[in-house]
Formats: sequence, structure tokens, C-alpha cells
Amino acid sequence: MGLKDKYIQKSKDSWNKKKTWHPLIMSIVLVISLAIIHKAYWVSTTETNPDEIWGNKQITKNGNNWTIDFEEEVGDSITFKGILRTAPKFEVYRNDTFVPGKYSEGEALVYSEDLYGKTMLNVSGIRILVNDDLSKQFFVSEIITIKATLVSNVSTFDNNGEIITLVREGWVAEAEDINLSSSKDNYFFTAELLIFFTGLYLSLKRVTNLREQTGLVWHLAKFELRQGIKSPRMIVLGVIFTLFIIGMGWLLGDLQNGDPESAFFVQNANGALQQLCFFVFFVVSLAAIGVSVDSFHKERQANTLNILLAKPINRETIVIGKAVGLSLVVGIPALVAQILGLMFMINAGDFPSFSGIIAFIVCGQIMIFTLVCFQLCFAIAARSGTDVVMYGLGMWLLFAVVWNLLIYAISFALGIDVTADDFENDPKFQSIASHMGMLNPGYVYQFAVGLLTHRTLAIDLEGIPGWLILLALVLWPITCLKTATKLFKREVRG
Amino acid sequence: MTQNLLKIKNVKKAYRKHNLIGKEISKFSALNGLNLNVGRGQIYGFLGPNGAGKTTTIKCIIGILEADSGDIIIDGKNIKGNGLYFKNKIGFLPEQVGLYGRLTAKESLQFYGGFYNLSDDLIEKRGKALLAKLGLEKDSNRRVSEYSLGMKKRLALCIALLNEPEILVMDEPTSGLDPRGVKALRIVLKDLNKNGLTIILSSHVLTEVQEICSHVGIINNGKLIREESIDGIRKEIEKKSIRLLLKVKEFPEKISNELAKKKKIKSIKQKNNGKHEEITLELKEENIPWITDFLVSKGIQIFSIEPQKNSLEEIFLKETGGD
Repeated sequence: MGLKDKYIQKSKDSWNKKKTWHPLIMSIVLVISLAIIHKAYWVSTTETNPDEIWGNKQITKNGNNWTIDFEEEVGDSITFKGILRTAPKFEVYRNDTFVPGKYSEGEALVYSEDLYGKTMLNVSGIRILVNDDLSKQFFVSEIITIKATLVSNVSTFDNNGEIITLVREGWVAEAEDINLSSSKDNYFFTAELLIFFTGLYLSLKRVTNLREQTGLVWHLAKFELRQGIKSPRMIVLGVIFTLFIIGMGWLLGDLQNGDPESAFFVQNANGALQQLCFFVFFVVSLAAIGVSVDSFHKERQANTLNILLAKPINRETIVIGKAVGLSLVVGIPALVAQILGLMFMINAGDFPSFSGIIAFIVCGQIMIFTLVCFQLCFAIAARSGTDVVMYGLGMWLLFAVVWNLLIYAISFALGIDVTADDFENDPKFQSIASHMGMLNPGYVYQFAVGLLTHRTLAIDLEGIPGWLILLALVLWPITCLKTATKLFKREVRG
Repeated sequence: MTQNLLKIKNVKKAYRKHNLIGKEISKFSALNGLNLNVGRGQIYGFLGPNGAGKTTTIKCIIGILEADSGDIIIDGKNIKGNGLYFKNKIGFLPEQVGLYGRLTAKESLQFYGGFYNLSDDLIEKRGKALLAKLGLEKDSNRRVSEYSLGMKKRLALCIALLNEPEILVMDEPTSGLDPRGVKALRIVLKDLNKNGLTIILSSHVLTEVQEICSHVGIINNGKLIREESIDGIRKEIEKKSIRLLLKVKEFPEKISNELAKKKKIKSIKQKNNGKHEEITLELKEENIPWITDFLVSKGIQIFSIEPQKNSLEEIFLKETGGD
């Protein structure tokens, strides 16, 4: 046997010795690594935090002479990467949409007739004037790279009777300097998905009697589904949450057409979709807890578990089967509610991105599975039925109701003035809220939909890197399921 | 010699309680090195007082609990690591039968049958035959919640037998059943055993065990203290003296002293119940005609004679230290 053959044999042996879930864990590590490389690629080739550049501008008001300066030098070019936060079609200067000679604080420029036919993009917070009409070329929520140059010009405007001279620096680009970053993102994203599913496949291949165990999981899941979906509790909960989601979908669609100055204004369909996620979580989580309450604990009281445990089925398979079945009990009506809610939202407002819709549905089902598994942990470990209900309600109150208060309390403890106006736009507060959100499956659902709306993991969403959101999305259901199976397996020790 | 189908070797099992950080706060040893042998084709009665470890042993055999140490060997193979394989060979009837109330008997059989590698048709065919055998055919489309306890037990037995197991394990099978149900169950079990099924049952009802079982194991404090065939126990009983309870009008001391001197009488006790003198004599069964003749010859008026045989209960009480 040659050295090469020996090496191959050794590698094969080492691979075969690995435990069942090692390939999946390795694939998750690889996906995270790739997501970090993905992010690093963009950080090294572009400016990925345009908002910071825009935020660092200085406005000096010296009598009638105002100046707007950036830290960069006039003539400097920077390639920015970011998300189009507003629809370019609404940002094209037309003669009926603005009054020449008026100063716009948000855009930091004085309107003039020169702007006709040009587009003011909002790229992740920074305003860049493009010397073209982009209304049919780019759309809201798209991730772009744009090479913009810092220019300076002088204009005057009437400020309550005073003529102000504004020496303004601003970022300008040509239409050909804009590119969709999605092509590179898609390569990364596809590679990440492939790695994840390969790891999952290789792990599942190692499960002994996988086909048999999958059959048993499905047998038990179908039983739970048939029992659960017909229960009066689920019928009542299903009707309530369907009506609620439809209502919220319609409202969020309608608010897209409302007054932009209103506190309730919803800027775009993708934003509305993210908000709809919260309302789905709010009601569906209660249903997930409601159907899981009776599992295990009640079965133990009714002595139905003893006969089941004497059948040729693993304890893990029982937990997985029950978790899948109960998730379907909530998931099927929730899917109908999600689709109806979306239809009403789209009917009253705009169409969100296709990837966002898929994420809204798929991540919603993952969220339901997570909550069912979470509640199963209580159902397995609790000593009385009252305990199961109380723990479940406590979890729902924490995740769906008081989480924001918790964020405010922690932010306050960390020195953020939560009574100040506009404190929610403070990047430090946003970062705390986002990171804490990873500990709440409802927020993970919202963030994941927000992330996948952009079809990339290489962006930061409210201070959270995309890979961390993906990790939270994967880890939540796995951890809850693993905990539930571990608790149930522990009982074999008596 | 009967081939051993189930062998339990030095099995230990303790129940432990832990605090929140996982530290053990209490421990109760249920099995303390239990040894047991069940031969193929036997009906093995598993006896013991409350808390002796009967249910724990059964749970270890069927895989609901895992023994801390020791071996449980079925058909020559250790069940450790082969739980699923052995569960296919075992049928289980728990003491407290818990079935899904919303299902009918047929649906229950389909559900539980789905865990074995059986086709739906085969489950239906076997289920139908079992329901007929256990007298549930007429009620097979009724919801289980409408069943009496006896019917539920019979259905649970159908479920336990659906996979045509080699061993049927039953925990207190007659508990909660009326005498008719007990008799019907006894007939079914004997019939199943005739067809080669090995049965292990735990019970408190010693007369039942004596009626049904071919072998008996008595455990106490998690240890086997006696294992014997019912025939062996019968022989032992026959060898032993019996007690004869006589109710007589008068029993003069003179006659009592005279009897006490006779070798045929091992002991004599006397008490007055207010109406009669109750005399308890310990003697061999073959000497009953002699004692009646003796007493009549002495002019004693006998109102009743009641032989009190030694039974499994006495052996059980003796072995387990009861009164």
C-alpha cells in the first residue's frame, strides 16, 4: 500500500469515526466561515457602512453662509455597497414633485430645475444624486454597489426671508456606476445553501435505520396531526389567528399608501412583510404553546406513554414525531393564514420581494417548530399540568409581549437614555435590541425574513451580521429539539 | 429441560432525584442484583409485596427503563443496544391501561400496529382475529373512551399481541377486573400459552398466579428470594401439614391433653367464639378421618369441620417475611 493510499485510508477511517451530527456541525461552521469571507470581501472592496459617511457630514451655519462638509476631499470617489431603502421611482425629481429654491434638510441640498430627471438614491442611509432617471432600472430593497464622487457646488435659498448661501458638498454618480451586487451574493448564497444541505444529507445518512425511523416519525406525526387539528382548542385558535393575520396583512398593506409623515406609515412592502412576521409570531406562538401543552405530561398522566414506549420506536423518534405532528397542527392553518394575510397585504399595498415571501412562509414554519419544541421541553420536564401551562404562558409573555421592555431596561442599564426623542434610531440601542433579538425566536423570524428579502447573508441588519441571523435561525430549532429529546431520554434512567 | 428465553443477571436499578444543578439528592434502590430465569413456553408469575421491584423489573425488560448494571438476556442476546430489535419480540400489557379515547378499537390497532413492519392489510387481518378472540368484535367501531375497564384491558391485550410476540409481559393484568373478566383473561392466557407464547406476569392476586402460572418467582427488596415451578410448590404444600378448624359444642381439657400427647397431632389451639369452641388442629391430611372418629368416640358434638390447606399465600408470606 502506497503512502497516498494509506493517507486516503486514514482519512476515510477518521471520517467514518465521526459522530452522526458532525457533518452537519462542520457544514454550519463552513457556512458561517463563508458568510464571514463574503462579508470580508465586500468590506475590503466597498464601503459597506454608507450611513456612517452620511452621518459624519458637518453642517456649519455662519450667519447667511451655510456649509456642508464631509471628511473626504472633493473629488474623492468611494464605491458604496448598500440597500436601496426607498423606491427610485419615487425619488426622481420631476417638475410637479418639488419646489425649486427650497432647502431640503433630509437630502442636504437646495432644489433647482437642474435636478429634473435626476434621481436621489437612499443607499443604506447615504443620499447620492444620480444623473439619470432610475425609475425603471432599480427597485426598493435591491442591494447595489455604486461608485460616487464627492462634488462641491454653491446655491442660494430663501430661509424665512433671509437669503442663505449654501456651499454644499454632496455625492454624485452616473447610472453606469451602479451595479447589482446580487450576482456575487447569489454565488455565495448558493454555495452556503449547498454546503448546509450536503452536511445535513451526510449526517442523515449516518442515522441508523433512517428510512425506518423517518417512517415512524411520519406515522406518529400523522397521528398527532389528526388528533390535534380536529381538537376544539385548535379550531378556535386557528380561526382567531387567521382573522388576526388577515386583518394585520390588510392594515400593513393599506398603511403603505398612508401619509409618509404619519407615525404608522409603512415605507415599503418588504418592511410591511417584516412587521407582519411579528404579528404572525404574536398569535401563532400562542397556538403552538396551546397544542403542545397536552403532550407528554398529559400522556404520562393518562398512561398512554407506557404502551407507546414498549413499541419498537426510539425515544428521540417519539419526540421528533410529536414535534413534527404538533408543528403541522399549527403550521397548516398558519400557512393558510400567512397566504391569506399576504394576499390582503399585497392587495392593499405593494408586492414584496419573492425571496421575502418564501422566507416569510418557510421561516414562519421553522419558528412554529421551534416554539413547539420549546414547549415540549416544559411538557416533558414539568411535574404538573399547571406547571406546563404556566411555563408556556410565561414563555409567550416574555417573547411576544414584554421583550421590548426587557430591551429598554437593559439599554437603560447600559447607559442609553430611553426617554429621549428618537432614541430608537440610536445605533447603540439598535445594536443591543438586535443582539438581544437573537435570543427570541420571534425576532429571529423577523430578522431572517428581513435578511432573506435581500437574498444575501453579507449585509448587516440593524447592527446584526447576516451570518449570525442564519446561525440563530438554524440553532434555535436544533437546540430546542435536542433539549427536548435529551430530557425525554433522561427518563430512561428513572 | 426448558430452554431459557429470558435471563436476568444481577440487575441493579436505582431511582435518583437531582436538584437544579444536577446533584443527586436522594436515591432509592429498586433492584439490588436481581437474577431471574424464564423458560420458553412458561407462564411465569412474578410475586412480591408492594415496592419489591416488580414493575421496575418489567419496565427494564420492555425497555422503558435502563438497568444501572447487570444483563437482561433474551434468547441468548443482551438487550443493551438492541432495544428496538427486542421490542419486536415483546408484547406489553401495563397495569394502568392508557389508550387514546378518541380512537376506535380498529383505529387503535392500526395506530399501534404502524410501529411494526406490518402492512395495513396484515394489521387489519390480525386485529380482526384478536378482537374476535377477546370478544371485542362487536365494539370494534366504538370509541375507546366508551369502553369499560375490562374492555380496555382486552383491547390493550390485542395491541400487545398484534406483533405476534414471543414474550407477553403483563403488569398486574387482573387489577380492576371483575371476576368474570378475570376468568375470561385466564382462559385467553392459557390458550395463548398453549400456542407457544411465553408469559410473564406480576400479580398481587396469589390465587390467580396459582391458577394460571407454571412457574413462580418471589422477589423482595429488589432481589429474587425464591424461584420454583407451581408443581414443586404443590408438592411442598402436600408434604406439609394442614390445619383443621373444628367448631364443637364443648371441648373438655382432658380430651385436649389426650390429643396433645398423640403423635399424629402436631399442634392444638383452642378458643371460644361465644357460641362454639373453635379448635385448630395441625395434622396431616390423611389423618382427618382418624381425628373425626376419635372425637365422635369421645362424645364431642361437632358442628363443622373446615380443613385449611397451606397455600402459595403462606409460602409467599413466609418468604417475604409477612405474618
